[in-house]
Amino acid sequence: MIWAKEETLSRNEIEEIQLSRLQEVVRRIYEKVPAYRKKMDQQGIKPDHVKSLSDLKNMPFTTKQDLRDNYPFGLFTVSKKELVRIHASSGTTGKPTVVGYTRNDMKIWTECVSRIAAMGGTTDDDVAQICFGYGMFTGALGLHYGLENIGASVCPTSSGNTQKQIMYMKDFGTTLLVATPSYALHIGEVARQMGFDPAKDLKVKIGLFGGEGMTEAMRQEMYKLWGQDMKVTQNYGMSELIGPGVSGECLELCGMHINEDHFIAEIIDPETEEVLPPGEKGELVISCITKEALPLIRYRTRDITRLMYEPCKCGRTTVRMENLSGRSDDMLIIRGVNVFPSQIEEVLLKVPEIGAHYEIIVDRKDHLDTMEIKVELADESLLDSYAKLGELEHRIKSKIRVILGIDASIKLVAPRSLKRFEGKARRVTDLRTNML
Amino acid sequence: MIKQLSVFVQNEVGSLAGVTSILKENNINLKAIASFDTPEFAILRIVVDQPDKAKILLAENGYAVKITEAVAVELEDVPGTLNGMLTVIAEANLGINYIYSIVIRHKKAPLIIVNTDNLEKTVTVLRENGYLVADQEDL
Ligand SMILES: [Zn+2]
Repeated sequence: MIWAKEETLSRNEIEEIQLSRLQEVVRRIYEKVPAYRKKMDQQGIKPDHVKSLSDLKNMPFTTKQDLRDNYPFGLFTVSKKELVRIHASSGTTGKPTVVGYTRNDMKIWTECVSRIAAMGGTTDDDVAQICFGYGMFTGALGLHYGLENIGASVCPTSSGNTQKQIMYMKDFGTTLLVATPSYALHIGEVARQMGFDPAKDLKVKIGLFGGEGMTEAMRQEMYKLWGQDMKVTQNYGMSELIGPGVSGECLELCGMHINEDHFIAEIIDPETEEVLPPGEKGELVISCITKEALPLIRYRTRDITRLMYEPCKCGRTTVRMENLSGRSDDMLIIRGVNVFPSQIEEVLLKVPEIGAHYEIIVDRKDHLDTMEIKVELADESLLDSYAKLGELEHRIKSKIRVILGIDASIKLVAPRSLKRFEGKARRVTDLRTNML
Repeated sequence: MIKQLSVFVQNEVGSLAGVTSILKENNINLKAIASFDTPEFAILRIVVDQPDKAKILLAENGYAVKITEAVAVELEDVPGTLNGMLTVIAEANLGINYIYSIVIRHKKAPLIIVNTDNLEKTVTVLRENGYLVADQEDL
C-alpha cells in the first residue's frame, strides 16, 4: 500500500513543496551554522539567492570531512538540549561522524521508514525481526521505529547468534526480516544446515534489506533460499542524511523511490562537480530539507546511480534512483560496516615491525564478508620464533578490530613481495563484485 | 656456538629453491636446512659456511633474514647418544624449541643443532656432561 499522499503528488506539487522547504532550510543554516555561513559567503551566496530549485546548484557541497571538521555538533542548527537522540558512524580517522535528531526529526525519520516498509509490503499483521546490530548505527533503530509505527510486531533480535535468530523466527512465526542481504542469505543457509527448509518451515515472506547494496544475483539467491513468493526489496539511506528512510524499492522492483518531500536528489559528475541532466549516471547528492538538528545541504553520498522521474507502475510519482553501481570513493562495506582503506592504513603505519605497503582482499564465504590484509615483515628480530610472528599478527588484528569493529585475517608476507604502484596505488581487491 | 640464519619464506612453490639458488650462485656451501609444516609462512633455518655473506645476499634479494647463534653438538654414532643429550638438556630444565642436524661433514660425526630459551646454559650443561659443542670453524 501507499503510506502517504506525498508519494503521489504531481511533479509541480512536489517541486513547490521542495522549493519552499529548501528556502527555509538555507535561511536557517545560514543564520545558525557558522561553518555554512562561511562557505556560502565565500561563494557569494545569500539565502535569498535561492529563488528556484535550479539555484540549488550554486550552493556549496557538504562532505563527510565537513562533519569531521565540526565534530561533534558543529553543523547542528539546534542546541544539544533539543536533541532526543544521538547516533554515530565510523569515520576515516579516530573520530566518528555524529548525527542528532530533535523530537520532530524522529517523527520525520519514523514516517520515512514507514513509507519504505509499506512499499516493501509491510502491514500491521507482520512480525518483524530486526537482525541489524543495535547500538550507535542508525540502521536497527530506524527500521525499529518505522515498523512499530506501521503496527508490526517488532522483535529487536540484533545481529549475530544465527541459530537463536532461527529459533525465534520459527517460534514467533516471524514474517518479515530486516538484515543486510548477505546476512539474510547466511541465516537461510544456517537454517538449512539445521534441517529446516526456510521456504516451507518458516513464515518469512518479506525481506527489507539494506546496509549494503543487493545485487540481482543476491536477490535471485534470496528467492531460492526463502521461497519464490518472498517480497525481496532493498532500501537506501545513510546516517548523515537520516539513516534508513531516504529511499526504497517498491514491489515493482524498478529502482528506489526517494522521499522527495524530505530530500532533494541531484546527480553530479564527481570530477567536475557539475549537475548532470536527468537520467545520466553520476554521484548522488542529497539535500535534507525538513530536518531540524542536522539538515545537510548537497551532501556528497559518493554513491553512483541515476535518477528516473517517470511515474512508477505502483502509483507513486516520486523519483526513483537506480540500484547502486559503485562509489566515487574507495569506501568498502564489509558485513554492513563502512570501511575506508585509509582507516586500515592508519593502523598499519603505526606498527613498526611491518613495511608501509599492504594489500586488502575482500571476499565472501558462505555469504559472509571476509577481509584479508597482507603486510610485509620488516623486523628481522621476530624471526627467532613463530610465537613472535604470531604475536605480531595477533596485535595487528586486534588493533583493526578496535578501529573497525570487524575481524580481518592478517597475512605476513616477505619484504618487497607486494606489488608496487607508480601512480595511484590499487591496494584493495574486492572479489565480491557480481557475487552472491 | 655456530651461526644460523633464520629466513622468512612464504609457503609457495619454489620458495625454498629461491633461497638455495641464491646461495649456490654465490658459492656458499649449505650445511643444513630445516623448515616445518606451517600453513601461511615458514621460518627457514639454515647453516652455511659463510653466514655474513649469505645474509647480505639474501637481504639484497628481498628476504627477511636474521643471524643468530646456535648450539651444535657433535654426536658419536652409538646407540642412545641423542637420548643422552636430550636428557641432559631436560634435566637442566631447558625446553627445546626446535632441533635439526648437519649430516654432511667430511669424515666427522654429524652435528645436532638444538635451540632452547637459554643457549649459554645449554652449552655449559652439555660441556659439563662431556659433549662436544662445535664452533663455526668446526663446520
Ligand atoms: Zn514504484
